[in-house]
Amino acid sequence: MQFKDQLNFVSQHIKKNKLRVFMTILAATMGTAFLIILASVGFGIQDTLKKEILDNRLVTQVEVHSADLDKEKADKMKKLDHVKAVVLRQEVNAFQTTTLDKYTSPSSLLISDFSEEKKAGFALEKGRLPKGKYEVVVGHDFAENLMNEEEVEKFQSQQQANESNEEEQIVPELPHYEGELLGKEITYEIGSFETGESYKEPIKLTIVGIAKAPSKDFISDGNLYADASLIPEMEAIYDRHKPEESEASLFYSNLNVYADELQNVKGITTTLKDDGYSVYSISEELEQIDVFFLALKAGLIFVGTIAILISSIGIFNTMTMAVTERTREIGVMKALGAKPKLIQRLFLLESAWIGIIGTLIAVILSYAISILANYILPLVVGAALGEENFGELNVTFSIIPWQLVVIASAISIGVAMISGWRPARKATQIDVIDALRREL
Amino acid sequence: MIHVEHIQHSFKIGKKGKERPVPVLKDLSFEVKKGSIISIVGRSGSGKSTLLHIMAGFLKPESGQITVNGTVTSKFTETQSAEFRLEQFGFIFQNFQLMPGLTTFENIELPLKLKGVTKAERTKQVEQLVQHVGLKEVQDHYPNELSGGQQQRVSIARALITNPPIIFADEPTGSLDSETEQEILALIRSLNESRGITFVIITHDDEVASIADEIYQMHDGVLKAGGIHHAI
Repeated sequence: MQFKDQLNFVSQHIKKNKLRVFMTILAATMGTAFLIILASVGFGIQDTLKKEILDNRLVTQVEVHSADLDKEKADKMKKLDHVKAVVLRQEVNAFQTTTLDKYTSPSSLLISDFSEEKKAGFALEKGRLPKGKYEVVVGHDFAENLMNEEEVEKFQSQQQANESNEEEQIVPELPHYEGELLGKEITYEIGSFETGESYKEPIKLTIVGIAKAPSKDFISDGNLYADASLIPEMEAIYDRHKPEESEASLFYSNLNVYADELQNVKGITTTLKDDGYSVYSISEELEQIDVFFLALKAGLIFVGTIAILISSIGIFNTMTMAVTERTREIGVMKALGAKPKLIQRLFLLESAWIGIIGTLIAVILSYAISILANYILPLVVGAALGEENFGELNVTFSIIPWQLVVIASAISIGVAMISGWRPARKATQIDVIDALRREL
Repeated sequence: MIHVEHIQHSFKIGKKGKERPVPVLKDLSFEVKKGSIISIVGRSGSGKSTLLHIMAGFLKPESGQITVNGTVTSKFTETQSAEFRLEQFGFIFQNFQLMPGLTTFENIELPLKLKGVTKAERTKQVEQLVQHVGLKEVQDHYPNELSGGQQQRVSIARALITNPPIIFADEPTGSLDSETEQEILALIRSLNESRGITFVIITHDDEVASIADEIYQMHDGVLKAGGIHHAI
């Protein structure tokens, strides 16, 4: 019998028992949808948690700690597989002050390699990267750190007067520089931590670019970023003023290695650890979360499978009744020359059909429920907790990845076919003579 | 064509564990010649239907051997038996055994579907046959919309559609009135003559048996031909 004819045969029988087949499909749909939705909650919570972690940090960043980090070691790290960039930043270990007109700021100066910074994702909001020795890029919040002492004092005394009059206290923003920064010349000085005084050897720097705002609102970037060509001049100033007995260096380094992709962070972390560096990356934290959620999701799928097993009783029942009802027809087919395997296949096809249709509807239904849940639940939970802004938080209650659809479909269709197996076997064992004796 | 040699069979009756065998067929041997019509006549319970079931492969004999066109069929597995039936045998049953959910056309088409014949070829063959057996007018009717005679014609057409060399007919006119009975018998006779199909007819009706070239009498599991006792 051709496969197309087998399908026709099955669909004819299904049409004859529409209501019963519909109810069985409904049971299969409910079971499968329950499994998918249940497990999707596991996927949703895992995703929310991971996003929470990943949003707060640079995911592909590997922090390297060592006493003697230098350019040579950074260059060596660049050669490792899957390393996108190695950023060696040198921070100034001295009192620092920056002046623009009447405004001063305690901003720190960072010396870095801008080609590597760019590869690692350093981006500008305005302007360009430094090309010359005396050119700098300032952090996004640099202007907010530039303050005028007189203005601040006046403002503070005004505030004190207001506080005594009003009960409610709102902390206002301190007055700061609000003019244009690009192209402006600033005066940068270093000095002694002990005295809090500068060495009075200013370096004139020109602002050529403003860095993009950090990804998180709570991080403030008021730094100055300059090229390594400035180091000798700064070291010369430092050497002229530092106490003779001091052996402390003006600069200290920190080094970050950036992987090309998240999955390669672990490999790089291991290699660097093996090379004797003290290393931290997010991959270790994520790994633990993944293991926990893998167990959780397996548990949820197991519970969901029980629902499918319950629905399989319906399929078993329907198929058993179908075999009993069609005993005479099966007998006639066998008498005419239908092989037992064909009879078995016809019934298995029918139960598989129930499973496939049930699964298909369940998948569509699950996606609909999932979208609806992600839209409505934050509002409901927010209302219940009395937090109006809960809905705005990035909480995902349910996610249905394709892998879950594949697993649920395999379980559902598999269970449907197993349920139909015994009735199908029973059909093949029908005795032709007994079947032909049956009345219509 | 069909050689039946020393066939013996018995049924077990009684409660489980306390069954006792009741012999139904007692050492039967006979031969059906190619292109002939044979009738096996006997009362109810004489064992004639059991003999047909064994010859058709629905039942395995306890002992003895059946050979059809040189092939020993009595040792076949269920699958082999089904394959052989589809190729070699056609069946006409007393209560027609048509599929209630299928039309006349679809009922006749069924054996071709089982053989895996393409839709186009099936349509061609069925259309020719319905014309030939006078069912063209009712080819889209369901069995419950047909008269007894029409249903038996459908059953005969279904048996003929695969062009089998042998057709087994179990009480082919048992559910029909005498007028329709005559029509069906005429059709069987003409098919035998025009197509050379061998018919094995089981009946309790002497008139039906009379169309046969050879008549066997079945009595208590023993077969007699033309008054001659064939049991050995």
